Amino acid sequence: MKLKAAPAHKDVAIIDASTAILREMTELASSLRYATVLTDDGFEVVSVPTHKADGRLASMASSVQALSEAVARELEIGDAPYVIIASEAGHVIQLRVPGHELVLAALFDVAETLGKALSTSRLAAEKLATALTSR
Amino acid sequence: MSPESGLVAGSRETVSPPPELTGWAGAATAIHALQQMAMPMTLTLDVAEHGPITIDFPFHAFSWDTPFAEFPHDPTSVLVETRPANPEQPTIALPGRPLDSLLWMIGYTAFGDRPAPWLREGDRYRLRRWPALADIAVTLDQVRMTAMLGNAFATADELAAAAHTPPADARRLVNAFSVTGILRRSTGAAALELPAAAPAAEASTGLFSRLRERFGH
Amino acid sequence: MEHIILFAGPMGAGKTTAIRTLSDIEVVSTEAANTDREQSDKDTTTVALDYGEISITDEEKVRLYGIPGQRRFEFMWRILRERAEGMVLLVHIDAPDAVASVREFIIEFFDLVERGGVVVGITRSDMAPGPTITDFTDALELQLPELMVPVMLVDPRDRGHMELLLMTLVANIETRAAFGATLETEYSA
Repeated sequence: MKLKAAPAHKDVAIIDASTAILREMTELASSLRYATVLTDDGFEVVSVPTHKADGRLASMASSVQALSEAVARELEIGDAPYVIIASEAGHVIQLRVPGHELVLAALFDVAETLGKALSTSRLAAEKLATALTSR
Repeated sequence: MSPESGLVAGSRETVSPPPELTGWAGAATAIHALQQMAMPMTLTLDVAEHGPITIDFPFHAFSWDTPFAEFPHDPTSVLVETRPANPEQPTIALPGRPLDSLLWMIGYTAFGDRPAPWLREGDRYRLRRWPALADIAVTLDQVRMTAMLGNAFATADELAAAAHTPPADARRLVNAFSVTGILRRSTGAAALELPAAAPAAEASTGLFSRLRERFGH
Repeated sequence: MEHIILFAGPMGAGKTTAIRTLSDIEVVSTEAANTDREQSDKDTTTVALDYGEISITDEEKVRLYGIPGQRRFEFMWRILRERAEGMVLLVHIDAPDAVASVREFIIEFFDLVERGGVVVGITRSDMAPGPTITDFTDALELQLPELMVPVMLVDPRDRGHMELLLMTLVANIETRAAFGATLETEYSA
């Protein structure tokens, strides 16, 4: 008899590791307004700061990620693109957590440069990947 | 009504229909009569040279070894046997074959180009639901007529006129729907009727006709 | 000229398969790893949309959009339904409460239902026990006594079935449009 593993968004170890990484992100970048880790299929693992979660943002982020990857596949420009939604009052960065079925999404103040926002996010995603792999 | 003379609920009987109702006509008449009864029933049709069909009405399924591709249009005999059914207990191995297809085929075939004897001249009918006919090769004209009868009351002749099909095709279709048990009859003069026949040109400009061509029918 | 047809229904009903069967092009899909094994034991699930198309001519296409079945993706439903001409609702017969599922989607997409723009395909009926076709249509008749929503048993892998489902949808839309407004609630005794 094999026990089913808890889904990622209910796995305490994943929640803890994600929370730690997101908190670190907010310390490193004062321009960070909001960050979240979500499963591939749109369930929120954790978000910082926590908000009245209706789960919609996580679902939308998973849709955006999947659509962007479909475009990238179609144009043959690579598997795991970053997604940047640049708007008047803020920038959203999304990218996969390498080697895991998770996505990290972060909202930065428009004052932050896109380059810094990207590198902050990428670093966090890589750290999370390492933390989860070495569990 | 004479077709009821041979059918006795509550006992197992082999029934001989009146001489003018042999073959599928007798079976169709028996099925129609059963549908008027409140009691759940099963029906066995012994089709000459094609084996027995067992129909379980409560479970809306039938069993028969003959595929529809080999459906006999004019069997020499169809013996009809009825039995009360237990709605909790199927008489055939489930899921069985979906019943609509069989009833539709019998209704379509049973009376040739004439209306079924219980359908009154001038009565308008409409579909209560769409027939579930996945295993039968229906024509797209039949799909169009089905859609029309799903949305308005009509006689078979009015249906044929609106759909630009031969009246015999519409009559067979109405017979098929009747035996499938999915017709309802209009009781009043104010029922929504099919609009007068649209000019043939209009029928060929819609998406339906273009898709039909694209799919190669 | 374009016509947009949605494919909706719960997870595991066969929407992605149905579009693959009908599409001229290779289907663009947005599958992600399925975390929700309680809902369905599939490995993947659609999180944005599936896209396929049928080219009628160089200038006329039928666009097929498969929308994710879970309610948390209803923002996608809203985005796509605005432009939809019709909808194919696929529900598998062995869904947890297949009849209730059909009713929920009918309520959700009632504006499409009203103009005849919804057909229901019940899948897997040859593979699993479940409600009969009349269970579905009786429930719909109770909910909508004046409207007939076509309900058919289909296999989403079968080209003939899928073509028939689509033709039925188009016939129903065109017929209702031609016949215009009010319907009589006449029933025989």
